[in-house]
Amino acid sequence: MIGILKGMATTLKHALDGETFTVEYPDVAPEVSPRFRGVHKFSQERCIWCRQCENVCPNDTIQIVTDSSRNGEQYNLHIGQCIYCRLCEEVCPVDAILLTQNFEFTADTKDEFVYNKEQLKNVPWYKDIDPLNSRNPDRGAWIGEGEGEVDYQ
Amino acid sequence: MSGVDLASVLLQQNGSGNATGNATNATAGNATNATAGNATNATAGNATNATAGNATNATAAGPTSETPLPDLISGLLGLDGFGIWGDAVAALLGAFLIANVMLTMTAVAGPWAKRKITAAFTDRIAVNRIGPFGLLIIVADAVRLLSKELIVPEGADRPAWDLAPIILPFSALLGFAVIPMGSGIQLADPETGLVFAFAAASIASLGLVMAGYASNNKYSMLGGLRSIAQNLAYEIPLVVTAASVVIFTGTLRMSEIVAVQSQPLIEAGALTIPSWFAFVNPFAFVLFLVANMAEIGRNPFDIPEAPTEIVAGYQTEYSSVYFVLFYLGEFIHIFLGGALMAVLFLGGAAPPVPALGFIPGFVWFVIKIWAFFLFTQWCRSAVPRVRIDQLIEIGWKGMLELAFANLVLTAIIVGVII
Amino acid sequence: MSLEDPEKEQQGALEGRSREDELADLLGERALSRDDHKNAPAFVIRPDEVQDVLFDLRDQAGYDFLSCVTAQEYEDRYESIYHLKRYDNPMDEVSVVVPTSKQNPVSQTAEPVYKTADWHEREAYDLVGIDYEGHPDLRRILLPETWQGHPLSLDYDQDRPQIVTLREHANPLEEDQRASGTGANAHSNTVESGAVDDAADSDTMYLNIGPHHPATHGVLHLKTILDGEQVVDVEPDIGYLHRCEEQMAQQGTYRYQIIPYSDRWDYTANMPNEWAVARAIEDLADLEVPEYAQVLRTMATEFGRMLGHFLAVGTFALDVYGDFTAIFMYAIRDREKVQNILEDLTGQRMMFYYFRLGGVVWDLPEPREEWFEKVRDFLDELPSALEEYHDLISQNEILQLRTVGKGMLPKETAKQYGATGPVARASGIDMDLRRDDPYGYYDELDWDVAVEDGCDNYSRLLVRLREVEESAKIIRQCIDLLEDWPEEERTIQSNVPRTIRPDDDTETYKAVEAAKGEMGVYIRSDGTDTPARFKIRAGCFNNLHTLAPMSNGEYIPDLVAALGSLDIVLGSVDR
Ligand code: SF4
Ligand code: SF4
Repeated sequence: MIGILKGMATTLKHALDGETFTVEYPDVAPEVSPRFRGVHKFSQERCIWCRQCENVCPNDTIQIVTDSSRNGEQYNLHIGQCIYCRLCEEVCPVDAILLTQNFEFTADTKDEFVYNKEQLKNVPWYKDIDPLNSRNPDRGAWIGEGEGEVDYQ
Repeated sequence: MSGVDLASVLLQQNGSGNATGNATNATAGNATNATAGNATNATAGNATNATAGNATNATAAGPTSETPLPDLISGLLGLDGFGIWGDAVAALLGAFLIANVMLTMTAVAGPWAKRKITAAFTDRIAVNRIGPFGLLIIVADAVRLLSKELIVPEGADRPAWDLAPIILPFSALLGFAVIPMGSGIQLADPETGLVFAFAAASIASLGLVMAGYASNNKYSMLGGLRSIAQNLAYEIPLVVTAASVVIFTGTLRMSEIVAVQSQPLIEAGALTIPSWFAFVNPFAFVLFLVANMAEIGRNPFDIPEAPTEIVAGYQTEYSSVYFVLFYLGEFIHIFLGGALMAVLFLGGAAPPVPALGFIPGFVWFVIKIWAFFLFTQWCRSAVPRVRIDQLIEIGWKGMLELAFANLVLTAIIVGVII
Repeated sequence: MSLEDPEKEQQGALEGRSREDELADLLGERALSRDDHKNAPAFVIRPDEVQDVLFDLRDQAGYDFLSCVTAQEYEDRYESIYHLKRYDNPMDEVSVVVPTSKQNPVSQTAEPVYKTADWHEREAYDLVGIDYEGHPDLRRILLPETWQGHPLSLDYDQDRPQIVTLREHANPLEEDQRASGTGANAHSNTVESGAVDDAADSDTMYLNIGPHHPATHGVLHLKTILDGEQVVDVEPDIGYLHRCEEQMAQQGTYRYQIIPYSDRWDYTANMPNEWAVARAIEDLADLEVPEYAQVLRTMATEFGRMLGHFLAVGTFALDVYGDFTAIFMYAIRDREKVQNILEDLTGQRMMFYYFRLGGVVWDLPEPREEWFEKVRDFLDELPSALEEYHDLISQNEILQLRTVGKGMLPKETAKQYGATGPVARASGIDMDLRRDDPYGYYDELDWDVAVEDGCDNYSRLLVRLREVEESAKIIRQCIDLLEDWPEEERTIQSNVPRTIRPDDDTETYKAVEAAKGEMGVYIRSDGTDTPARFKIRAGCFNNLHTLAPMSNGEYIPDLVAALGSLDIVLGSVDR
């Protein structure tokens, strides 16, 4: 009996303290950690079309089309198929592909999740935070220094 | 005046038409209200008719302090002169009114209050996006549920399958016919009021078994069987415990049971504890509370539904309107359970201290019912469900013995002291 | 207990000479040759002597734990590998390799020796196509009955559509319609009680629990035969969430492409899965892991274990309490806090992908002090949160009434069925790979293994709650270490080449202690940068196998509670 009463007291305590743990999501944008891996952003200006990202991707999410002289023509990324492992960002030598913290994406059909390079370029930063800064300290372990300022816009 | 008369005549025709006709083919909203009116009307109307028409009937013998609601209504509308028809209309109106009050309370409790209460216990916010405090979720939910497809499982035993969801809410509504709700609101006050209420409430078991049996689903079947076993095991302690109250009062008439409780039990200066039976015999109160929880199938005794074990028990196959009816029925049953608690143990519609007497009795009554509802929801968030065999065991080996012990004890106390 | 003592003596007698020689002597003529794996000696035996050899190994040498059965196809033969361990010393391993010919892949079953071989061999039959002679019920287990071909065999044509014709294959629903009549008979070959063998005895009812049922925590189908409310027989039907994870791993490169998918196996506590893969590949390719990274790994994994246990306790409460219990939300709340911490560390809330070969991907987030503070706050609040758990669950009389003495899994049965993790530890088996087969930084830290002897649902709950406390202890020590680690020695990864090609025909089987039990990975390399065979041993798979002995004779609510107490994740069972 004591145990039951203790249990009831515990829940009552929670009911009366008025605290809630709910994230009121659309009204309050949640805090996202700087390392959070969201939708990709791509910069055609920086890309050297080395295809490393395409090769490392575990599930063929990235498709790169180049012409005969290895100039890039298309860069397609299926953000609905991606598993957000961040390997493409890790291997990219010039920070041309980057995972933003943006986790909000919707579409009516799966096809609409295939982003081409224009759409990838226009993916907004989440809360205008460039995650590269916060990730930078660790990047040295992976790819050596990036090449200065990055402009994705 | 003529307008009112016309309206009541129309209502009367409408009512009798529905009573004889097929009520189930009306649209959902209408069906709920109209049949609720009818069902209650059947009893209340009969009771009052009997009073008017047959002077030898015992009911006519003892007029209580408060006028029954139908008389009040007929007085208000000037229906006194219309004889038996006037009484019928008045009774119908009264029943309609009370049924609607109950249904409104259910509507608030089901989609909204339940969520809010559960959320409070679990540190969440719950519905808050539709309307102020999310209250419009009631409308949204009603539209959502009623607009769903009514799926009839293959092999369902048709008349039984259709009747079950109708029996459940209406048996509970029937019980309210004899409950004195304070401020003079009581449809009928027969001498056997208490027995009538229990009898009406336990018709629900029939509905559950019908639902379980007719659904052609094994989970439903298990749920139906469970509910029968559970009701058998807990009805007896429930009634026996209520009988201990009857020993005190010496009457089964609801209004008198309430009246007996209005005397002060202890007076210590400004503090007056009324002689509610919850204070006179707390043991019986606890027994009744537990048996009541089992009777209405709430945690920790919600095994006829037991979602994690047998999906949804007897209501597994029901959708759309029928589901709404089941849902309503469950909540009206909780309220009926709360009403019985209030009448038998909590002084009916009386305020806890006379100083608060300025608040109308009906408000107190509703507060008491809601307190019981709150308690069921609290248990739901904090008490584990018992197993079916344990439930039966507690019922037959524990509750029954305790209930009889309580009865004997009360009898001795009443016999020796009073 | 009496069974244990001879083993101990045996062990004593074996000392002095090398264990391998002893085993070789024990097997004598029956060992055709040696085919040693990186982790253990391996003896090749004839396919018709499997039971003979395994009985000897079990009874004479004390190998009471069949950890895994790996089946694979070579160009010239099929092979079944039995990975044996001992519950009292999991480092003492031996593998038994059973080659069979291509034309006639028939091998003797090991089911009479180890009950757990039942499911393992069914899986081997299902995916690779080896026939186990004498197996009581050799049916497909992961794929549907109607599947054509064996997906992991070499000549399997992936592009061939699977056409299921009802004419050829009976409608699976039909069995249900016939309910207690002949339907029960259809699978009475798995029923040991014999109560339903009599088809005319219509006192029983056949009930499908799942695949969509509120209490199966995913898509699990339990074929139950009921006598009233009592369970006469229950047979889990799995495979609804089968995603060919093994095959996917075989197509991915060692270096990058396997670990991200390991997060999808046991998705409630993913971190240990990553370690299982990392450990196996690191063993295979002889990669070093810096000490600093080991501490990070240890800490992250313990957070991952907490994730799993919070959810397990919460859902177990859900099964016992009813649909809207408060304790479930409190458990989710605590889980959420851990997820926040891990998000800061790894960048994701569920599919972390924190491990890399030779280390981890990130150091602690900057500023470190802030993060330490966050973790410490969480750890400081944890005892009071656990207090609530105990108030609401373990000390509740009704819950005790419901769970104590129910879902009994005696120690010997648990061993027979290859149970591991909290399930085994609640049956009094004192085994924890973190302590007994040390990896990471565990052996440097001070913590205890939670063991209970109750063997029931309640003990399994207690073990989990205690393990949360132990995890907190480990994490606290880890962050103390990390805080004081000299800045210049914070190496998070060793130097690992971008492409890894382990030597041809190297094999290893390595396991770690995941939240649900032993998570093992067997890899055979063929000199390329992808594995030739990748086999996952998931604790949940074997733990689920114990459901039948646990719940036979119990009521449905206890079956549900037992299932909840096993804490299975279908992603891990079906892979
Ligand atoms: S995040 Fe991973 S899965 Fe997604 S595109 Fe990059 S490499 Fe591919
Ligand atoms: S790795 Fe970077 S530079 Fe190379 S193709 Fe991909 S995005 Fe372009």
